Amino acid sequence: MLNEATLQQVMGAVLNVPPSAIEPNSSMDTIKAWDSLRHMHLVLALEEEFEVAIPDEEAANITSYALIKLVLQDLLKSR
Amino acid sequence: MTTLLAPDPLSILGDPGASLSQIMAALTNFEEAGQATRHASVGLSSNATIELLGVFLRKHAALSGVQLTVHQGNFDDPIGDINRFRQGSVEHLVLLPVFDALLPSFEAQLGHLSPESVAAKEAEVIARYRLAFEQASGFRSVFVSSFHRLSSSAEPAAKDAVDASIERLDRALREAAAQFPNIRILDLDAVVTTLGRNAAFDGRFYLRNKAPYTTGFLNELARRIAATSRGFGSYFYKALVLDCDNTLWGGTIGEDLLAGIKLGPYDYPGNVFWQVQNEIAALERSGVLLCLCSKNNPADAEEVFARHPDMVLRDRHLVLKKVNWADKPSNLREIAAELNIGLDSLVFLDDSPFECGAVRAELPMVRTIQVPAALAEFPRVIREIKELFLAGGVTEESRSKTEQYRQRAAADVLKSQFSSNDEYLASLNLRVELSRDAEASLARLSELSQKSNQFNLTTRRYSESDMRRALDCPDTAVYSLVVGDKFGNAGLTGVAVVRWNADTAVVEAFLMSCRVIGRGIEFAIWPAILRDAAAHGCTRIAATYSPSAKNAQVADFWERAGLSPTAAEDGICHYGAEIAGFTCPPTPWIEVIRC
Repeated sequence: MLNEATLQQVMGAVLNVPPSAIEPNSSMDTIKAWDSLRHMHLVLALEEEFEVAIPDEEAANITSYALIKLVLQDLLKSR
Repeated sequence: MTTLLAPDPLSILGDPGASLSQIMAALTNFEEAGQATRHASVGLSSNATIELLGVFLRKHAALSGVQLTVHQGNFDDPIGDINRFRQGSVEHLVLLPVFDALLPSFEAQLGHLSPESVAAKEAEVIARYRLAFEQASGFRSVFVSSFHRLSSSAEPAAKDAVDASIERLDRALREAAAQFPNIRILDLDAVVTTLGRNAAFDGRFYLRNKAPYTTGFLNELARRIAATSRGFGSYFYKALVLDCDNTLWGGTIGEDLLAGIKLGPYDYPGNVFWQVQNEIAALERSGVLLCLCSKNNPADAEEVFARHPDMVLRDRHLVLKKVNWADKPSNLREIAAELNIGLDSLVFLDDSPFECGAVRAELPMVRTIQVPAALAEFPRVIREIKELFLAGGVTEESRSKTEQYRQRAAADVLKSQFSSNDEYLASLNLRVELSRDAEASLARLSELSQKSNQFNLTTRRYSESDMRRALDCPDTAVYSLVVGDKFGNAGLTGVAVVRWNADTAVVEAFLMSCRVIGRGIEFAIWPAILRDAAAHGCTRIAATYSPSAKNAQVADFWERAGLSPTAAEDGICHYGAEIAGFTCPPTPWIEVIRC
């Protein structure tokens, strides 16, 4: 199962905001620091933290908390 | 994830297994807590996306106590970046031109481009970076990466067009850089070799985001930049202070004697120490000052340096020798004072966790490095020490300064000395398990009596059958000391043999391994031993010191312990005291446990 507290902490650390600022409706549009560069760091950090390989086609598209959660849950389930 | 909540960011940053998000969170904590002792700034300029290099540079700076501000340049604009960084008073500059990004997929294009087009591009690159170097002459340091290829050659036996172009560019850039003393070349090929090509590059983010490097690569590159910049100016080491026993050779000269210590080119473990000595001798050639700081009889250490056939290090390599029984922090203070350099210029290498702990506690500015318990790791540790001295660059004038410093040191008068040693000892949680007639330890008790030379009051040797008799004798008590502290257990490292002879407790033997002396244990055990003696009807204690070739350091031990001299004959000194009212020097930092 996906530990959402961990997800919030990783996203907070990479996007340089408090983990509590990461909410269900957070996305590239709501978090100012979340640009394409930070997004790359975020993908790297998520892969490392959850020990998954995010497929290339997903990596560019998971630009919201909800989408990240969905993709990670799928990856963790199929492991 | 619990480590994210850990209080000390530096321990996370120092953990090679920490994840990227943990590092980022720890850096934020480190910087917000204001833990840094210095501040520095660096600008990054590249034709690739290397923003994460900034994260790892901040990490390695933090490990040297430096808070590093990173300025990211624009894409492929070294001249513009340099001008902006200069206006912002940035101190250090990293120029990292990626070969494959000089033109889109340059490596792929090279195979079919005309030689004229290639030559024109190369000329443009060289001209641009020459100008950049000139404009960057005001930076404190400029780190320029060498060119490397991303793809491996399809013709492994021959150099292809990519290799040829990289060779020409590299030579030209190194020549240009040589004219500027503030420029250091970073050998990226060496980083790739260290990690392996597959672990160095990440094709996914290169094509999409122009970010060719993995976090592992950027971390190693940042580590090298930090080392080359001497922790962004936070240290400058000049002298390497060496312990002797189990650091320069295997074993203990005072116990194993000249023929018994392990040192030589062929056999393990002597070959480890021999290799280490070769590396250290090379450091001396590069201008590093070598000093000894060893708890030994001076004559014993002298003998090794003068007479051991496989010693690589000799007297002429050493600028200062502190071979004595004083505590190491005091000796290090003297070394710094006599060489007229700061304590923060010293690197101290010792095998003992006790000595390393003492120096770290009292002299945190000294870079203290412990010989690894796994000897096979020792060469790697020596490599790290070499990097501390050499990564920042060596100037010709600093080579072989030993002679000059030696003369200055000889002219200087000894001074310094003050002791927070007791405070340090108190932090160790020292304990002695004192057992009487521990039959199970018969072999070790006998061995210790035969091996111990330096801290041995009577140098009376007990064969196993002698020791058996002493253990079995109802009027004789054999005390064994098992010494431990917060670093671990030193094992059975001391023996006292006491005979209850009517009203007098006679100390027939008292000896300790030199691994554990100097912490007060030699005094701490006597109250318990004398309580036993009193319980057996003794009212006096009598003890002797018999001089040997090796035990001069304990010549005054009984007097220091509080006994009075009673007689002397044939060089043997006799001491005694009434048990009632007798007090040893207090050692409140030691817990004595009767077993």
